[in-house]
Amino acid sequence: MAQKKDVWQGTLALMVLKTLDTLGPLHGYGIARRIEQTSGDLLAVNYGTLYPALLKLEQEGYISSEWGVSDNNRKAKYYKLTRAGKKQLEREARDWEQTTAIVARFLAPGEEVS
Amino acid sequence: MRWLRVFALRVAGLFAKSQRDREFAAELDGHLQMHIDDNLRSGMSAQEARRQALLKLGGVEPTKEIYRERRGLPLLETVLQDLRYAVRTLRKNPGFTLIAVLTLALGIGANTAIFSMVNALLLHPYNFPELDRLVRVWENRGIDEGADARFIAPQDAADLLSGTPVFDALTTYKCGDFNVSAEGNVQPVLGCHVSANFFDVLGVGPALGRAFRASEEQPGADQVAVVSYGFWQRRFAGDAGLLGKTIQMNGKKYAVVGIMPRGFDYPVPMELWVPLGLSPSEKTDRAKLSLESLGRLKVGVTVAQARSAADSVSQRLQHEYPTTNENRRTEVLQLRRELYLYTLPLFLLLQAAAIFVLLLACANLANLLFARIVGRQKEIAVRTALGAGRRRLARLFVTETLLLSCIAGGVAVAVSFWSVKVLRTSIAPSWTMWVPGWDGIQVDRTALGFTVLLIAVVGFLFGLGTVLHSGQALPYATLKEAGRGPMLGSKGRLRSALVVAQVMFALVLLVCAGLTTQAFLRLVDVYQGFQAANVLRTEIRLPEKSYPENSQIASFYDRVLRGSASLPGASAAVLVTNSPASNVDNETTFFTINGRPAVKASEAPSADLQISSPDYFSVLRIPLVAGRAYSYADNANAARVAVISRSMAARYWPDGDEVGQQIKLGAADSKEPWMTVVGVAEDVRQNWWNPTSRPTIYEPFFQAPKRSMVFLMRVASNPAGYASGIRELVRGIDDQIALTGVGTLEKEITDSIAIIRIMGVLMALFGCVALALSSVGVYGVLAEGVARRIPEIGVRLALGAEPRDVMKFVLGQAVKLTGIGLVIGVPIAFAVNRAMSSLIFGIVSINLLLLAGFTLLLLLVALAAAYIPARRAMRVDPIVALRYE
Repeated sequence: MAQKKDVWQGTLALMVLKTLDTLGPLHGYGIARRIEQTSGDLLAVNYGTLYPALLKLEQEGYISSEWGVSDNNRKAKYYKLTRAGKKQLEREARDWEQTTAIVARFLAPGEEVS
Repeated sequence: MRWLRVFALRVAGLFAKSQRDREFAAELDGHLQMHIDDNLRSGMSAQEARRQALLKLGGVEPTKEIYRERRGLPLLETVLQDLRYAVRTLRKNPGFTLIAVLTLALGIGANTAIFSMVNALLLHPYNFPELDRLVRVWENRGIDEGADARFIAPQDAADLLSGTPVFDALTTYKCGDFNVSAEGNVQPVLGCHVSANFFDVLGVGPALGRAFRASEEQPGADQVAVVSYGFWQRRFAGDAGLLGKTIQMNGKKYAVVGIMPRGFDYPVPMELWVPLGLSPSEKTDRAKLSLESLGRLKVGVTVAQARSAADSVSQRLQHEYPTTNENRRTEVLQLRRELYLYTLPLFLLLQAAAIFVLLLACANLANLLFARIVGRQKEIAVRTALGAGRRRLARLFVTETLLLSCIAGGVAVAVSFWSVKVLRTSIAPSWTMWVPGWDGIQVDRTALGFTVLLIAVVGFLFGLGTVLHSGQALPYATLKEAGRGPMLGSKGRLRSALVVAQVMFALVLLVCAGLTTQAFLRLVDVYQGFQAANVLRTEIRLPEKSYPENSQIASFYDRVLRGSASLPGASAAVLVTNSPASNVDNETTFFTINGRPAVKASEAPSADLQISSPDYFSVLRIPLVAGRAYSYADNANAARVAVISRSMAARYWPDGDEVGQQIKLGAADSKEPWMTVVGVAEDVRQNWWNPTSRPTIYEPFFQAPKRSMVFLMRVASNPAGYASGIRELVRGIDDQIALTGVGTLEKEITDSIAIIRIMGVLMALFGCVALALSSVGVYGVLAEGVARRIPEIGVRLALGAEPRDVMKFVLGQAVKLTGIGLVIGVPIAFAVNRAMSSLIFGIVSINLLLLAGFTLLLLLVALAAAYIPARRAMRVDPIVALRYE
């Protein structure tokens, strides 16, 4: 449980940053839906856990927020990538690609042996 | 730096909570609305749409909770919460808080004050750089020469420096009175002849001007002087032009070349230093131990190494110069140790007592905390039942004890500063100026911090320990038992052990206090060989220039003695070289017995020499054991006579035939006249640190006049009232003579043992604190035990037990605990007493009556402490008590 959560929280930040990078300013609900759709419903996690992650990113200065109105006229807080956030995204994406590449290479011969 | 920004924002998150809560609630609300809208669009019923949205979110309140944790600093918030709670509980129990804080503050404060004093006096008596490398060097002739005889022969000192590889440098000096003339006025000041490297060896140079040059050690070139800061300020009002001016001393002109910085006073508070200009023959002298000496060890050389190196030189000299150096050995002692040879054990005793008080305070704190935790079993159980984890509970109690320690620490800081101030001001400056390092006594911050930290650690451990202990009890059992009986077994034992320890500590401390106080009283008794009441005392010094001849000195003092006899109420007046209890050792001298000459100079016997006018023995009421005292008839024209002390007579004439024998001062070849022993006087102890009275020769003043004398006058009453009479009398004879140290002999004696008195008072204080602490401990345990047993007592009373039996039971408990403590404490007290009497002069073996008294006292205090809870137990209304069940 704990491990799954850790992975989730680590990657969640990356997903949030990527989402905001792709779609521009977006509210929490929109981010949650987008992540869920992109992950193909594989990540069935409570939407509520997104909010502390957003708050953390905002405290770190990677995103900023302001109140706005949604498409169907609901009051919502919109999150937006900052310049520091853009840099952080590039850094994290690179790290992530490196990690996955290493893990992939590590796993590949194992499959052949079995 | 990003973490700093995060931290700052999270700290900010601690404030304006409700506004932030509202904002997040609005955000969540928007989130839910959007989700519901989507769900409705996908065809759900309104109810289902809302349910699914909430489900997906994971609940509104849990989301808010995890959000809040991220927003602020949850750890800090619980700490603040615990702190608020702790403040509340402490305020709710002011009695407990007060006792705990006072106990701790007293323990810490006493420790810090004593440690500060010991540290300042023992470790930093002087401000010299690398003090530990400075050693006193002197020669011991293998005979008892009195405590302060630490001198060396000039040539031996030179051989020591050249013959050993251990010294960087060695300086020699000789101190004495100088008569400084200023504007026709002659005043005696204390000064020192020092070798040119004196200031270099000490490592302190003049603040203005220069030190001496090696060339100024030559007789004739030696008329230069370095003066003290005080001398410069007092006599020349800090005149910057003093350098280069000359001052008139002992009939010679000295050019002032340097002014020492403020606070420099070595060997003792001095006014000035001049070069030690020895003639070539004086320099090569080995016969007389005439100089004092101080060496600076090379870096890395230990005192033990220096000692053995000096020893080998001594042995070589013994071989090469047997006539002068036979049995002569060199002693090396660290400078800072020399100062406190007599008082060191007393300081250590005080320090040990202070540590004991701290231990007692810790035991007391533990006891109080245990009592409180036991009383709060129910509260702990309720909290546990409501879901508080053990960690959370531990944090709560640790916060509480830490807060207590912090408050106590704060009070302790105040107590420390205050007690150090009291300590410093409790002795007159005229005495403390002779105590190097006294002015440097200040609160030792390291010691203070360490003690406060120690208390915090103790508080932490006890807070933790008690929670872990009580955490073992199952909440439902505790709730059912309502804090009664069974689970207290082991804790009860622990607390009883603490009480036993406290009683033991208290007994040992009381015994130490009693012994020290007794020792002090005995020290006062040391001066019982004479009667000090109703005696006025003053010092008179005649300048050499106006009184060069013995006849002039004798006629001046003769007029003083005659004049004082005519003062109303004065019965008799005398002169003596050194009054008893002056804290100055007598001059020692060799002497030779006619018919029994010592073969070698080194074997000549030695004795204290006192020169006094007739009536000395009758004025101080010193009894004569044999023969007669000398009278005014024994003057310069009569045959030379002497009186000797009883211990001297016993040592050299064990057959009792001393009266009529002839002695002379100096070795067999001395030119001193033979003196006939005419009488034997009872022994008088000169100073408190002399273990016994030393053999003493008394010589009649009018046969051997001296310029500096102590004047003593016995009057009918109120000796202090005669001070002005004596001043006028002396002024009438010679208006150039100023009296110093005018006061009563009784006050002189009291002042001379001031340091011992203060230690006695401090020890007595520690004893009282120990008594108070242990009674609080005994009371706490018993009161809590009674409170716990109220239902049981109620049942017993309801079943017909007599209140007397209840009383007996509670008091019996007190007697048991105290008894065990006393049984353990008595042998320890004996052991401590043995250790003390071997270390500290004046302490004798324990008085059984004293020990019995203290034992009884502790028992009575314990009974009194038990009486209050016992009475409460007796008054228990059975009905009320049974309702607890």
